[in-house]
Amino acid sequence: MFLAVNKERNMMFGVTKFFRVSGCLMGVLVVSLAADFVAAEVKVLPFNQQKVPKTTEDLIAIQDALLEHLDRVRKSTVSIKLEAGFGSGVIISEAGLILTAAHVTGAVGKELTVILNDGTELKAVSMGLVSDTDAAMMRITDKGEYPYVELNRDNDYKLSHWVMALGHSGGFDKARGPVVRLGRIVKDSETTLHTDCKVIGGDSGGPLFDLNGRLIGIHSRVSKTMEQNMHVPVRNYIQHWEAMEKNEFLGDGPFAKRPVKGSGFLGVSTSEVEEGLRIEKVGQGTAAEKAQLQEGDVITKIDDDEIKSKADLKNLLKEMAAGQDLLVTILREGEEKVLKVTLGQR
Amino acid sequence: MFFCPICMKQVSKIFTTALVLSLGGISWLSAQEVLHADERINGKLVTKAFERQRVILQKSSAVIYTDGRSRIKSLYGMVMSPEGHVLTKASEISGKNTITMRIGSQLFEDVELIGVDEVWDVALLKVKSETPFVPADLVDEDSVSQGHWVVSNGSTTRSQRRVRVGIISAETREIKSSAKVVMGVQLGQEKEEQFLIKKVSEKTGAEKAGLKEGDILISADGIELKQRKDLLEAMKGKKPGDVLSVEVLRKSKKMSFEVELMAFGGKKPMSRNDQMSGGALSLSERRDGFPRVIHHDTPLTKVSVGGPLLDLNGKCIGMNIARASRVATFAIPARELRDLFERLLNE
Repeated sequence: MFLAVNKERNMMFGVTKFFRVSGCLMGVLVVSLAADFVAAEVKVLPFNQQKVPKTTEDLIAIQDALLEHLDRVRKSTVSIKLEAGFGSGVIISEAGLILTAAHVTGAVGKELTVILNDGTELKAVSMGLVSDTDAAMMRITDKGEYPYVELNRDNDYKLSHWVMALGHSGGFDKARGPVVRLGRIVKDSETTLHTDCKVIGGDSGGPLFDLNGRLIGIHSRVSKTMEQNMHVPVRNYIQHWEAMEKNEFLGDGPFAKRPVKGSGFLGVSTSEVEEGLRIEKVGQGTAAEKAQLQEGDVITKIDDDEIKSKADLKNLLKEMAAGQDLLVTILREGEEKVLKVTLGQR
Repeated sequence: MFFCPICMKQVSKIFTTALVLSLGGISWLSAQEVLHADERINGKLVTKAFERQRVILQKSSAVIYTDGRSRIKSLYGMVMSPEGHVLTKASEISGKNTITMRIGSQLFEDVELIGVDEVWDVALLKVKSETPFVPADLVDEDSVSQGHWVVSNGSTTRSQRRVRVGIISAETREIKSSAKVVMGVQLGQEKEEQFLIKKVSEKTGAEKAGLKEGDILISADGIELKQRKDLLEAMKGKKPGDVLSVEVLRKSKKMSFEVELMAFGGKKPMSRNDQMSGGALSLSERRDGFPRVIHHDTPLTKVSVGGPLLDLNGKCIGMNIARASRVATFAIPARELRDLFERLLNE
């Protein structure tokens, strides 16, 4: 099915080129033809064929295209609450799949909180990421039907096209809502789109749309000038889609640090007892202390693995990395409890 | 510069990578293709389409100087009446010895300061001329909505105003003050003296209200003071100018005072996002504590606020009052501006 769609759109792509040299009148004809081939929502936007808008009518055409999609794309733009600070993201499926930046999620399998525009907080978990381009995927784990946007799979965004950036600049602010900015694509390299849509901290991971309302990029970074705002192109996500779905960590930085096996540190000394491992001491400032493990607690299980001996714990931790989350089952005064521990750095 | 502090130290690494990649061939060519500066959203070929708005700014905005020589612009103003009333951002001209302004290409050296509104940070100025001025055409309705083009003053020469453009970016709303407020008293360090007033600072709300050294605070806005955090709780959400009702014990006698709070002196530290926004050179020093503002994405600086904010019809929907961040400029909406102007005129 994908192929078929691609084929049709490639045709349109060719038509677009033709249109550019053949002038305006011809263009109108082509638009109506193209509309029969392709899904109705993808329009040829005349202002993207113009070097610059010349009249108030040209400006209104840009504004109208933006307004046609604004409400819908705003609803899908989410804020992501992090341990320190905020990022943004965009929902791309009804079940709550989200695209964001790798430096926002930072790791695979991390529990995160997603905030919708009305302030609703939802549980989410990070999936795969591409650490050298800053692409990352995550999903909302709370069941629901979420407002989502379409991806531009045609890769037909080009230098000079008008685009809009959304995001929760500087963090979530309910009274303000997501912030929209208008601009043009000013540079398009293989793994980075540059626009003059101004973005800032908190926008990271937020969406960049073409004026057909399709997702074309995710905000990544800026340079000092107002006109250099960088985004990961959606094609980079499509290229690594399956690996990200399978929670793979791709590349070697700089946007996320590859977890190193055995680098995780729990911070307890234990002795073996009948039920499991009794905690004798909890180290100050360690992951165990932060998770409120206490002296006297008996660890019986970590995630789904039973813990019977010191060797069990050691072997398990050998496979874990700093920053990873564990569910530790303990007995405390005869009662079973499950605590979440985020491993520290050894 | 990366958003994420974790990545910041890696800046050089990614650029080296990019360079290496680009030497590979194909991507070298595409990486060289860059949209010409003139064709970017605020490039001069694009802003040509806003000539109609530029002509309005030419007549209805004022270039305000405080350098005594009418050479280096301090900011803009907005012409409000045919008689020569001009509104501008008060904090940018406060304490300046000379104020001169240019409207159109005519220079006015005799500028009268009529009044200041501290809440909105707006000053009303007046100049005289034989020919009537053309005031900005304020919209009647309050119908600002996201995604619409807006036009502001950009740079200027002596004779020519230029435009900067953007869109309305977010909901029109209140911007709360982030200023820390104080009463103007020094309390004891030790726990048993934590509500004992050791010193009352001069020219503060505490002094004006009549608080004295030796008084012991017992309540604030009805909250009984037991720990330091009770006092913080009572002051939470207060802005400079708000009043705190306190009760004190003076020589074992209970007394009540109304203390006007003031902003804590000293500049606010610049956040990472502030630095990403150009820091003190670009941002307005007073950029919060406004009852209601329009939020747009036009890249102004602190020296290009003060002028009118126009829509595509050339109507004035507000007045730019602060450059707030890399992504935000705030404007006072027309409705509030009209009230504010009348209030300042009648005071």
